[in-house]
Amino acid sequence: MFTQHISRRFNKDLEELRTQVSNMGGLVERQLAQAIEAIVSGDSDLGLDVARRDFKVNQYEVEIDESCSRILATRAPAAADLRLIVAVIKVITDLERIGDEAQRVGICAARLASEAQPRDRYDELRSLSEHVQDMLHDALDAFSRLDVEDALRVVEEDKYVDQEYEAIYRQCISMMMEDPRTIKRFMDVSWAARALERIGDHAKNICEYVIYLVQGKDVRHTELEDLRNQVEQASKGS
Amino acid sequence: MPQVWFTLFARLGLLAAAGLGIGWLYGQPVYGLLCAVSIALGWQLLWLFRLERWLNGEKMDFLPEGEGIWPRLFARIDFLRGRTKRRGKRYKALVKQMRQATRAFPDGGILVSRNHEIYFMNHAAEELLGLKRKKDRGARIENLIRDPDFVAYMQAGTTSKAVQIPSPLNHGRWLSCHLVPYGMDQQLLLVRDVTALVQADKMRRDFVANASHELRTPLTVITGYLDALADDDSLADDLQVPLQEMQLQAARMRTLVNELLRLSELESKGPARQGKAVNIAALMAAAAQEAKAMQNCPHDIRVNIESDADLSGEVADIQSILTNLVSNAVRYTPQDGQISISWSTDDDGGYLVIADTGLGIRKEHLPRLTERFYRVEDGRERIGGAGGTGLGLAIVKHALQRHGAKLAIESTPGKGSSFTCTFPVDRIIAVA
Repeated sequence: MFTQHISRRFNKDLEELRTQVSNMGGLVERQLAQAIEAIVSGDSDLGLDVARRDFKVNQYEVEIDESCSRILATRAPAAADLRLIVAVIKVITDLERIGDEAQRVGICAARLASEAQPRDRYDELRSLSEHVQDMLHDALDAFSRLDVEDALRVVEEDKYVDQEYEAIYRQCISMMMEDPRTIKRFMDVSWAARALERIGDHAKNICEYVIYLVQGKDVRHTELEDLRNQVEQASKGS
Repeated sequence: MPQVWFTLFARLGLLAAAGLGIGWLYGQPVYGLLCAVSIALGWQLLWLFRLERWLNGEKMDFLPEGEGIWPRLFARIDFLRGRTKRRGKRYKALVKQMRQATRAFPDGGILVSRNHEIYFMNHAAEELLGLKRKKDRGARIENLIRDPDFVAYMQAGTTSKAVQIPSPLNHGRWLSCHLVPYGMDQQLLLVRDVTALVQADKMRRDFVANASHELRTPLTVITGYLDALADDDSLADDLQVPLQEMQLQAARMRTLVNELLRLSELESKGPARQGKAVNIAALMAAAAQEAKAMQNCPHDIRVNIESDADLSGEVADIQSILTNLVSNAVRYTPQDGQISISWSTDDDGGYLVIADTGLGIRKEHLPRLTERFYRVEDGRERIGGAGGTGLGLAIVKHALQRHGAKLAIESTPGKGSSFTCTFPVDRIIAVA
């Protein structure tokens, strides 16, 4: 899609930009995986490591932002290229927020490590996180492959993540009512779950930018049913 | 000149001569010659026409036969065509076989260009990495396999080692990726599922950690009672010696268990954190003091500090490196020998050297020296009395690894040994 410019330098710039976003995505994926690992294994050092490493994600955001501005200024891109730049600027904002949420989960993990581990070793949280990790991974894949179908699938996944979050939240409340001494711990658990749920939303946003990038349609704030119809129409038209 | 060409020229010559002769009879030799040439040209054109039709795919019932140049050309082309066709078939079969073989291959293989663009992958790679064979052709592999370690590995282009990454597809599975260059600037990426290996390694580590932890409790009870017994004056005299021996062995076992725990702790931790300055000179002095308190210690222990740079790392690790190496040296050096502990730095890194003038180690033992419980069994006696646990050098190796450092051992039997720890530049904190 972005390899037909007469200027080879321009092609290379755009390719570089996409790789940079992928690298940033890879780092964020790892941050998330390690934050969860820290909670499940009760490893406070790992949790703090994750929190400390968030600055790298931020660094990436600044670098990619700069690259985007440079391309906008020197190449004055149009059409698909312009959409790529716009999409990248938006995607990295969401990635940076995911990084922040992972940082939050890491801090929760460090705090939870000093409490007693529950018997189920945070099984629900692990299941929710695996779901969210898959969503993020698929969203970044969809961005790399410019695959609208995959992007749509991730958007549809989000409602299951929301349901899982609801379940954990309710469970936390009932646990806290049962035994007020656990309030501190379950506050942290619900914080972590909340952060994971937000990551799911950010992954969904990334997919919406992919649809925008490929089809030129802004599908934010659309109902799921409408969204599918719109995308199908657009892909028939093209 | 081959026969055919001779015949061709002979025939042309004959025709020209006949034309010339007939023309001369009628008084117009030039026209006669012209006629003959036209006939010859027409004949050749006719053959050319047939050849062109045949090459363009028109069926011929049978190929022209005869000795002339044209029939020979036809026959030759027909032969070449047949050969190409047979070769094509053979290559096709070969390619098919190769395809089937790569499909049956249990490990993933991906061919990538110099810019890391994918242009072929087998089915195993597709399944292991979650790629799409058709869709991902031409895509940059780093855009799809985004693990930071993998990206760094691809960028570095070092092909001697493999990199281990978590599977992008299945949580909890591990893959090992190895880049192998071939051809001009193409690379083959081999992907293997090493989950079983990783798990076995983890199980081994967990087992050692748990076992040594569980052994500690009963041991504490035993030593407690032994100490109480030793203080008891009413104990019969003939039990004193066995009791002392029991205390000695219990103490030895405690050290062993502690070192096992220490080793498994070192193994499971990641690289040592940067930034914390370790005052190596103070640690060296302390190690020398400790050595002097040991039995049968050589009188000549030297501490040479040639650099005032500090080390960045973890104090406990550096301390156990020093203690282990120095106590080893004491154990194998006679009392009139010499031990030197030196620290120096240059542009390439820092060097911690512990050298002795002791018994030395034979060459064949050197590579295996850092293995757990490896003992040099060549009848050499330890000078420093009761020996170590057999874990000392393994601990040193792992503690060094955490700091990105390497251990080099040099030794001459009868003359002495030197243990050199080389620390990388980024672990050296130069004093401004």
